[in-house]
Amino acid sequence: MGNKIKEREEFQKRNDESNDIEAKFYYALGHELRRKIINIIGENKYSSFTQLKKELKVSTGTIYHHLDTLSQLIEQKNDKKYYLTELGLHAYDSLKDNINNIITPDFGKKEFTSPILKGLMHLTPKKYINYENNIRIKVLIISSLITLAGAVLCGLNGLFPFFLYFEETLINIDLIDVALKTLLSFIFIANTLLYFLVNEGICRIFYKKKENSLRFLISFGLILFPLDLYLILRLILISTGSYVFESIKILDNVLMILFQVWSLWLLTYNLSVNKKLKIENSLIVSLLVHYGGFSIILLLAI
Amino acid sequence: MDIKRYLDFRLLGLVGSILLILSQFLSWFSNQSLLQIFIIYSSVPLDYSFLYIFPLICGIICLVGTIVIIHNIEYRINSVIINFIGLGFFLIFLIEVIPREFLYLPYAEIGFYFSIIGSILIFFDIINILISK
Repeated sequence: MGNKIKEREEFQKRNDESNDIEAKFYYALGHELRRKIINIIGENKYSSFTQLKKELKVSTGTIYHHLDTLSQLIEQKNDKKYYLTELGLHAYDSLKDNINNIITPDFGKKEFTSPILKGLMHLTPKKYINYENNIRIKVLIISSLITLAGAVLCGLNGLFPFFLYFEETLINIDLIDVALKTLLSFIFIANTLLYFLVNEGICRIFYKKKENSLRFLISFGLILFPLDLYLILRLILISTGSYVFESIKILDNVLMILFQVWSLWLLTYNLSVNKKLKIENSLIVSLLVHYGGFSIILLLAI
Repeated sequence: MDIKRYLDFRLLGLVGSILLILSQFLSWFSNQSLLQIFIIYSSVPLDYSFLYIFPLICGIICLVGTIVIIHNIEYRINSVIINFIGLGFFLIFLIEVIPREFLYLPYAEIGFYFSIIGSILIFFDIINILISK
């Protein structure tokens, strides 16, 4: 009986201690300056008082006050420099993790300040990629029309599609007959499905994201919109006879790169909002699939 | 000396871009630099001579991308997108030029290797930017 009471008391004591550490931990991280101190020491492995004063730009007394508050998270060693304790390292890691989650909680609703991302967001059909269920049919129709238009344009241009790349067929475009054009159009549709499956597969295998596959598929055709524009422009250049000029061919290459990047951005956005991936992970998926596709094209070209 | 403090992951992009820019001025095939090939091809009305300055364009764009992230680490996504555009030029260059110069590949010289290493470094730089917290 006496033992049980003793055990209970010890358990209560340990519980109180851990509550005390927890309270100190969160109190220590509850001030901006203290979080900055943790980050400075964490990024540099250690820090001297002079360095802290230089980076924080506050009075000596204020720094000493906050260093006292952080006594559980940092320690001063014999070389007079400040190091993170084990708890401090944990605090530093959780600060880093949390800020990433806070920065990108829901990419679909995020406002950007940088001009490039702002510009790209203007070029993103957010309403249709991150669509409400009541416009699902509308998105499906638009998405299918974009894919079909891409297929027809790809056939008319006489291009062999692979993911977001197009390789010119060796046959002169004027000599391409209707059967070959139709075949290239079918290849475009098959390529779109393959591209979707590869992206979906990577999300499932590497990120364990199995949800929203249908939503992702329905809006997948929208990422082909920039490629449709590129194919239209290319067709115009060919039909006006200006494609024989070298400068126009260079322009064609530059346009292809820019429209590809636009498509990649739409894919990234689609992955972020529909597969619920963080923006960084969506970019990794787009990047791997894009350069993987490029490697295959290069091998085929050789 | 704490060497890790000076080895920043962003250096990958910087080194990669510089290698790509340098490769333009080093010999690729038969002791000729890409710049020389570009000048020769543009003096005669030959298609695609501009392709031969794509590695230089790629290097410059990726250098801008790297400077952006060195200037402010919050611009990491912007840097990745700029690097995407830059690498796009190099990929187009490879797709168009390598099949044509395929026979000369066994005789490739330092410029070719610089450009390949540079593009791989930029690729790893992008991955690094995206996976680092």
